[in-house]
Amino acid sequence: MKKILISGLIAGCILFVLSYGGLYLAVRFFPSLFVEYNSPLFNSNGGRDVLFYMHPFIISFALSWFWDRFKTMFKGVFILRGLEFGLVYSIIALLPVMWISFSALDITVAMVLSWFAYGLIQAIVAGMVFAEINP
Amino acid sequence: MCYRTILWVYLPFTLLTGFIAPRNAVPVAVTKKWVISENSSLCVNGSTNINKFACDIPAYDRTDTLTITKGKGDKDVILSGNIALKIQSFDCHNAIMTHDLRKTLKESQFPCLHITFLTLSEFPKLTLNPSPITGWVNIELAGTTKRFEINYQVSMDAQKVIHLLGSRDLTFSDFNLVPPRKLGGMIKTNDKLSVAFHLKMTAMN
Repeated sequence: MKKILISGLIAGCILFVLSYGGLYLAVRFFPSLFVEYNSPLFNSNGGRDVLFYMHPFIISFALSWFWDRFKTMFKGVFILRGLEFGLVYSIIALLPVMWISFSALDITVAMVLSWFAYGLIQAIVAGMVFAEINP
Repeated sequence: MCYRTILWVYLPFTLLTGFIAPRNAVPVAVTKKWVISENSSLCVNGSTNINKFACDIPAYDRTDTLTITKGKGDKDVILSGNIALKIQSFDCHNAIMTHDLRKTLKESQFPCLHITFLTLSEFPKLTLNPSPITGWVNIELAGTTKRFEINYQVSMDAQKVIHLLGSRDLTFSDFNLVPPRKLGGMIKTNDKLSVAFHLKMTAMN
């Protein structure tokens, strides 16, 4: 349990920096990609900012538990284990969620693909961290 | 003897001139009324950290009157009257931006933007060439009223239509409004707004 929490916390901190650092740079250098976010679909009063910034820790703790349960199934060096872990998570969890999101919400394909890629990269990075800390 | 001479010179002069009122000694207040026509408009320009937006109210759906009164001094000009603009009439040429602006301006609670005219820096010269003047107005938006100095351009065209163009930079925070922000503030609307209005009016006799 302790290992799950520690590796989840470390992965959460790394994902926090990478995710929001990457998002900040993307908004700054590719602003046109984010025009679609000026939509009533997205919260605009700032009331949920804390929840938004907690996301890397939520996903890290969830993935840390998942990793601890199934880590023996991922073989090889830590990079390969991380890659495979990220792909498994993306196919099982992300793909169906993105599918239903695109079918039900008024969002673009580019937006859904970017969310999928964002989640995939987060899971791969988290997998690599877990493979190192909790092999 | 000396006093008598002075008295004889001064007394006829006083009698001759004493009953002549000096010209313009008692200034007359001049009042004019201008009727705002329906094709007046208002435009708001703003920006976010990823794009710019322009929202306008292309037509004024009421007929209001402005009264301009010139007082005793040249600089003492009172402009009275007000205009009420429906927040619902704002069009940002993008349904999403229009919805966001109306929500930010709390349209459901405060459906109108009120501009109350107070003063002008001078009596406007109604010529073909726009003349710059300034004036104070009260702007009521989202339940908050603030006083602003507006830069005007006043002119009158060949069809005797009076054009009053006013412009001023405002901020959302002037009216205790929070500019919209998305993705935890990664996408944020800048506080500054440039407001410009164009009132087309005709003088009432």
